[in-house]
Amino acid sequence: MLFVALIPLLSGGWLSGPQSTFETEGPVAKTQLDVFYVTLWVTVIIFIVVGAVLAYTTLKFRTDKPLDELPEPPPQGHGNPLVELSLIAASILALVFIAVPTLRAIWYTYDVPEDQQDIAYEVTAIGYQWWFKFEYPMEMTPQPFGGEAPLITANELVIPAGRPVRVNLRSVDVIHSFWVPKLAGKVDMIPNRGNHLWLQADEPGYFWGQCAEFCGESHALMRFRVIALAEPEFEAWLENQKTLARTVTAPDDAMITTDYVDYGTFRANQPGWSEEFDADPLGNWKALQEPNAGEDAALIEAGRRYFVENRCAGCHVVRGHEGMGALGPDLTRIGARSTIAAGLLENTPENLYRWITEPEGVKPGNFMYHTRIVAPDGMVTMPGYVMRDPATGDVIESPGDIKITPEEGHALVAYLNSLK
Amino acid sequence: MSSHAATAGPTDHHHDASTSTGIPNKKLFMWGFLASDCMFFGALIATHLIYRLHPPVGTPDPRDIFAIELTSGSTFVLLMSSLLMALAVNACQQGNVATTRKMLLGTIVFGLIFLGVQVYEFIHFVHAYGLTTSSSLFGSTFYTLTGTHGVHVALGILWLALMYIRSFKPRDDSAGQGWILRGFFHFLTFTAMVVLSLYTLLALVHGYEAGNGLAYFFSNHFLAFFGCIALLGGLIWFAKPRGPVDFGEANAIDVESMGLYWHFVDVVWIVIFPVVYLLEYVVLS
Amino acid sequence: MDQSLTKNEFIGTEVEQTQEAKRSWLFTRPDHKTGLVNWLTTVDHKRIGILYGISALFFFLVGGVEALVIRLQLAVPNNDFISAQTYNEMFTMHATTMIFLAVMPLGAAFFNYIMPLQIGARDVAFPRLNGFAYWLFLVGAIILNLGFFVKSGLPDMGWFGYAPLTSTAFSSEFAGDMSTDMWIMGLQVLGVSSVIGSLNFIVTIINMRAPGLTMMRLPVFTWMTLFTSFLIILAFPAITIALVNVMMDRNFGTHFFEVSGGGLPILWQHLFWVFGHPEVYILILPAMGIISEILPTFARKPLFGYPIVVFSGALIGLLGFGVWAHHMFTTGMGTVATAAFTLATMAIAVPTGVKIFNWIGTLWKGQLIMTTPMMFALGFIWMFMMGGFSGIMHSAAPADAQQHDSYFVVAHFHYVLIGGSVFALLAGIHYWFPLMFARKIPEFWGKLSFWVIFGGFNITFFPLHFVGLNGMPRRVFTYDDNMGWSSINMIATIGAFILGIGIAIYFGVMIYSYYKGEKAKRDPWGGRTLEWSLPIPPPPHNFDVTPTVHARDAFWYEKHHKAEIAAENAKKAVDDEAHGGIHMPSNSWFPIISAAGMLFAALMFCNHSYLGAMAGAVIMFFGIWMWSVEGPGGYHLHPTKKGDDANASH
Repeated sequence: MLFVALIPLLSGGWLSGPQSTFETEGPVAKTQLDVFYVTLWVTVIIFIVVGAVLAYTTLKFRTDKPLDELPEPPPQGHGNPLVELSLIAASILALVFIAVPTLRAIWYTYDVPEDQQDIAYEVTAIGYQWWFKFEYPMEMTPQPFGGEAPLITANELVIPAGRPVRVNLRSVDVIHSFWVPKLAGKVDMIPNRGNHLWLQADEPGYFWGQCAEFCGESHALMRFRVIALAEPEFEAWLENQKTLARTVTAPDDAMITTDYVDYGTFRANQPGWSEEFDADPLGNWKALQEPNAGEDAALIEAGRRYFVENRCAGCHVVRGHEGMGALGPDLTRIGARSTIAAGLLENTPENLYRWITEPEGVKPGNFMYHTRIVAPDGMVTMPGYVMRDPATGDVIESPGDIKITPEEGHALVAYLNSLK
Repeated sequence: MSSHAATAGPTDHHHDASTSTGIPNKKLFMWGFLASDCMFFGALIATHLIYRLHPPVGTPDPRDIFAIELTSGSTFVLLMSSLLMALAVNACQQGNVATTRKMLLGTIVFGLIFLGVQVYEFIHFVHAYGLTTSSSLFGSTFYTLTGTHGVHVALGILWLALMYIRSFKPRDDSAGQGWILRGFFHFLTFTAMVVLSLYTLLALVHGYEAGNGLAYFFSNHFLAFFGCIALLGGLIWFAKPRGPVDFGEANAIDVESMGLYWHFVDVVWIVIFPVVYLLEYVVLS
Repeated sequence: MDQSLTKNEFIGTEVEQTQEAKRSWLFTRPDHKTGLVNWLTTVDHKRIGILYGISALFFFLVGGVEALVIRLQLAVPNNDFISAQTYNEMFTMHATTMIFLAVMPLGAAFFNYIMPLQIGARDVAFPRLNGFAYWLFLVGAIILNLGFFVKSGLPDMGWFGYAPLTSTAFSSEFAGDMSTDMWIMGLQVLGVSSVIGSLNFIVTIINMRAPGLTMMRLPVFTWMTLFTSFLIILAFPAITIALVNVMMDRNFGTHFFEVSGGGLPILWQHLFWVFGHPEVYILILPAMGIISEILPTFARKPLFGYPIVVFSGALIGLLGFGVWAHHMFTTGMGTVATAAFTLATMAIAVPTGVKIFNWIGTLWKGQLIMTTPMMFALGFIWMFMMGGFSGIMHSAAPADAQQHDSYFVVAHFHYVLIGGSVFALLAGIHYWFPLMFARKIPEFWGKLSFWVIFGGFNITFFPLHFVGLNGMPRRVFTYDDNMGWSSINMIATIGAFILGIGIAIYFGVMIYSYYKGEKAKRDPWGGRTLEWSLPIPPPPHNFDVTPTVHARDAFWYEKHHKAEIAAENAKKAVDDEAHGGIHMPSNSWFPIISAAGMLFAALMFCNHSYLGAMAGAVIMFFGIWMWSVEGPGGYHLHPTKKGDDANASH
C-alpha cells in the first residue's frame, strides 16, 4: 500500500484537492478507493504485458519495403486454439480477482453495517434547483407558533464525527446527486424515489461536496459542505440550532455607525474563495459560529426591516423572526455558514452583498432572481427581482420586482451575518 | 437483384432461388421489421406494467372501467381476421384472385370492427369514467399502449385496402390509370357502408334497449338503413369484373408479407389483452 | 433512351410483354447518370455511401467546433467566455452531433459502400429504401441543428435528456420554446432512418451473398455490419418509446415522467440506457470490423482466430443488451441488481479483450507495412485497450460510485470513442480512399495527421482521468481555482486545439488528394477481400460477373488461383448474357420526396401544429404510395458482351 500511496505524489499533485477521491477520510470512501486500486493494478499489469507484446510485435515484424518489393507473404497462419483458450481463461481469472472484493464492497457500502445501525445518525438531504436542504428528523425543534418540527438547514451539513451517518436522499424537482468524495461515492436524488447512502467521517473535519447529476442551468454551481464535529461539539451545535433566531436589538436612538464599502462592479462568474479560509477551513468555520466583532446593532435592525420590506421573508425562513417562506433555503443561522449560494461563495460581506444584489451574475437562472410562482390566471404571487414574459421569455419590468438599494444591501448583509 | 427466370412452370411460393437462403427478400425484411416492432411493444408493455406495480395515489381501479365481455369479443374478431388473412394468402398463392379479394375484404371488415369497438370503448371510458391520457398515469399508459396498437391495426387496414385496390389493376393499361380512381371510390363507398352499417346497428341495439319497436327504428333511421342498401348496390357494381387484371400468383409474396404484419399485430394484441385487461382480475386484484 | 416501363418482373414467372404503354411522367423513373438529379434520386449504394460520408464529415467538424467552445470555456477557472446556458447547449449538441450525426453515419457510409462489394452483390436488397434512409438521416440532422437559426435555440438538457429536465416545466424558457421538441423529433427521425437502413443491410447480407460465400467466409467487416444492424433494429425501439413518452408528456398531458402525476424519472433512465448501451456497441463494432480488415491486409496474413473474432462480436452484441444499468449504478437500485450488472459488465470485457488478443496475433510473425491506415489501426489497439481498462474500472460499482458523472467517465468514453471508433473510421477512409476515388493520399501528410491527432488526443484526454478522480464533476460550465483542477484543464484545452489542428490536416490532405492526388492503381494495398478485385472506382454495376467464392479472404484466393477463376468467370459471363445481361435498378424521386414530407410533418409537430403535421404525413404517404406504384423499373447492362463497353440497353 506504500507504493500505492506514491501515486498521488507521482502524479504531481493532480490527485490532490478538496474533492479528491484519493484523500479519503471515512470507511465508505476508503472501501471504494480500495476497489479502485484492485482494478487499477490488475489493468496496469495487463496493460504492461499486452502492451509489451504489442510493442515488440510492431517493432520486430515491421518491414520498410513497399508492397511491390516484398518477397512472398509470410506463413498464412489462421489461429491457435490453445493460445486463444488460455488467454480467455486468463482474462476470466483476472476478472474474478476483481469481482470478489467488488461484490463484498457493494454490500458494505450500500447501507450502514448491521452491527452499527443502533449508533447511526440520520439526516435527510433534499435536492432543489440549485441548493440542498438538510433535515434532521431526529432533532425536533420548537417552532415559533407552537409545536415541533424537524430541524431544517441548508447547504452545509453538520454531522457527528466517528459515527455512521445515514443520509436519506430526496428531490423536489429534477434529478440531483449527493457527492462528498472524501467521505463517500455519490448516490442520486431522484424525484418520486427514496434513495439513501451512508457515510462516516472518521475524524472531525470540513469536506467539500458537489451536485453530480446535471440538473439544469446552474448545475455547476450547486455545491455544499459537510462539517464533522466531535460528539460534544456536535451536541452544542444542535442545542444552538434548536433555539430561535438570534436577535440583536439596538437602543432606540442608536445610529448606524458603519461606513459603506463600495465594492465596485462584479463580473459574472467571479471567483468567491480565499486562501485564508482554505488554509484552515474547520477552524474558520468554528470561528463563524461566534458573533462577529463590532456588530452595528442599528444597521442590523435596519436590515431586519428590509428583510421584510423587500419580501425576502416570503421565501426564506428565519425561525423566530419574520421569515416564513419555505421556497428558498432556511436562513435562521446563515451567519454561521462558511459559504453562501449553495457552497459557491465564501461567506464574506462582499460576497453576500454581491449575492443578494446581483444574484444573476452569481448563479444564472436562480429562482431568487426570476419570478417563479405565477398563478394560473397569470398573477404573480411571489415576486422575484425580475419577471419574464411567459410568451417570449423576455425580461419585463413589473411593479412587484424586488429592488435592493446599496443601503438596503449593506443593512441586509449585516442582519444576515448576525444570524448565528 | 432478381434474375430472369425463364421457366413457365408453377411458382414455388416457399423457395426463391435468387436469394442465398431461399427466403424472398421481402419476407426476410418483414421478419426483421417485426423483430424490431417486438422491442417497440415490449417497451410500451413494460412501461405499463411498471406503473401498475407502482400506481400513484388516486389511480382508478381498472376493474371498474373495463368491459371484459366486449373486449373479449373484439379480441375474437381480430383473431378471426387473422384467419381470413391466412386464407387470402393461400388464395393468392393459388392464383385465385376473386377469393383473394373476398378474403382481403373480410380481413378489412373484421379489422374495422375491432377498431370500431375500441373507439367505442375509449369514448365510453372518457365520458363515463373520465379516463383520459392526462387524468391519471393509468390512462397515460393504457391509451398509449392500446392506441399504438390501434395505429398499427389502422395502418394495416390502410395497407390491405391499397392491396385490394391494386388487385383491380387491369392488365391492359391503355385506358390509363383510371382504375386507381375507381378503386378509391370503391373503397370510399365501402367505408361509408361499414360506418353506416355500424351506426344502423348501434341504433337498432340502443332502440332495443330502450324498448322501442321496429316501426320506431324505421321511421327514425330510414335514411341510414336504405343508405346501407344503396351503398351495398354500389359496391357490387364497382366490383364487377372489367377484364383480366394484372394481379395473381406473382403478387403472393406481397400478400404474404402483409399477412405476416397482420398476424404480428394480432399476436401483439393476444399479449396486450391478458397483460393489460385480464391481469387486473387475476394478479393485481 | 426511353426508360418507360414495359416489362413487369415477378419472382418465378415472366409476364407476357404488352405493347409499349405510354405512362404518365409521374410514373417515369429518372434516368440521369450524372449531375445533381442523379445525386438526389440515386439508388446506387456507392453514391449513397458517399452522401452519408460527406454529411458525416461535415457534422464531425460541427461537433468538433462545439467541443472547442467547451474546452475554451473550461481552459481557466471562473471563465466567462460563454454563459452557463450556452455551455449546456454546447455539450448537449456536441454529444448528440458526434454520436448520431458523425460516428453513426460514417459507419453507415462504409456499410453502404463496402459491404455489398465484399459479398459480391450489385446493390443492397432494397435500393430505393436505402436512399430513403439517407434522406431521412439528413432530415433528422436538419431538425436537430435548426436551433442554431431559430429563437427556440438549441436543446440544453444533455444528449441523454434525463427526465424531468425534458418536461415543459423545466425545459421551456418561454411559451413557444421548441428546443426540446426539435431534439426529440430529430432523434425520432434519425431512429427511423437507422432502423430502415439496418433492415436493408440485414436482408442484403443474409440473402444476397455471391455463390460459395457461406457465412463463415464473410469478411469480418460484413459480420460487424450484420451485428451492428441487429443491434440497431432491436435497440432503437426502446429510445423511440422513451421519446414518445416524453412527447406525450409535453403535448398531451400524460404523466409518464411528470413527477406531480406519479411519474418515475428512473423509468426514462432504464428505457434510455436499454437503448444507450447497445448504442455504444453500435458505435464500436463497425470500427472493430474496419480494423479487422486493415490489420490482415498490412500484416499480409489472415486474421488470427477468425471464428473467435466473429463469435466475440456476436457475444458483445448479445451481452450488450444485458449491461445497461451500469450507467445507473448510482441510482440506488439495490445490492442484487448492482451486483448483477457489475458481473455482466465484467463478462462483456472478455469477448472484447479476446479481439485485442486476436489482432495482436494477426500481427505476430506478419510482414507489417506501416502505411497511414496501419498506423491508425495500431493507434486504435492502444487507445481502445486503455479505454477498455477504464471501462473495467467503471464496472466495479463501488469504484464507479466515485467515478460516475465525473471527468473520469469523460476520459473513458473519449478513449473508446475517439481512440476507438474515430481512429478506426479515419483509418478506413485512408484505406478505402484509393478504391472509392482512384487516388492515393500521400503517406507523409497522412502520417503527419496521424501523429498530430494521436498526440493531441492523448494530451487532451489522458489528464482528464486524474481530474475526474480529483472530484471534478461532468457537465459543469465552470470550476474554482482552489480545487486543483486548473492546470489539467488548461493542458486539456491546449491538447484539444492540437487535436483540432490534426483533424484539419487530415481533412486538408483528404480534400487535396481527392482533386490532385496521385492516381492509384488497382489493388494498391494487396487486399484480401472482394472489393479490391474491382476496377477503381467501381462501375455502377460493381462486378462484371458475380464472383464465386471458394474461401475466406475471397480475393486473396482469386489472386492465387487465377486460372481457375478466369475459367469460372468466362462461363458465368456467357450465362448472364443468355439471360439478357445484368439487371440494374432505376433511380427514383420518391425517397427524397417522402423524406421531405417527413421533415414538414416533424417540424409542424414540434410547433404543436397538428394539422400541419398531418399534412406532412399525407405528403409522406403520397410519396410512399407513388414509390410502390411507379413499378420496379430497371434497365440492363452488358459489360461482358464483346464490342460493347458496358452500355445500358433494354
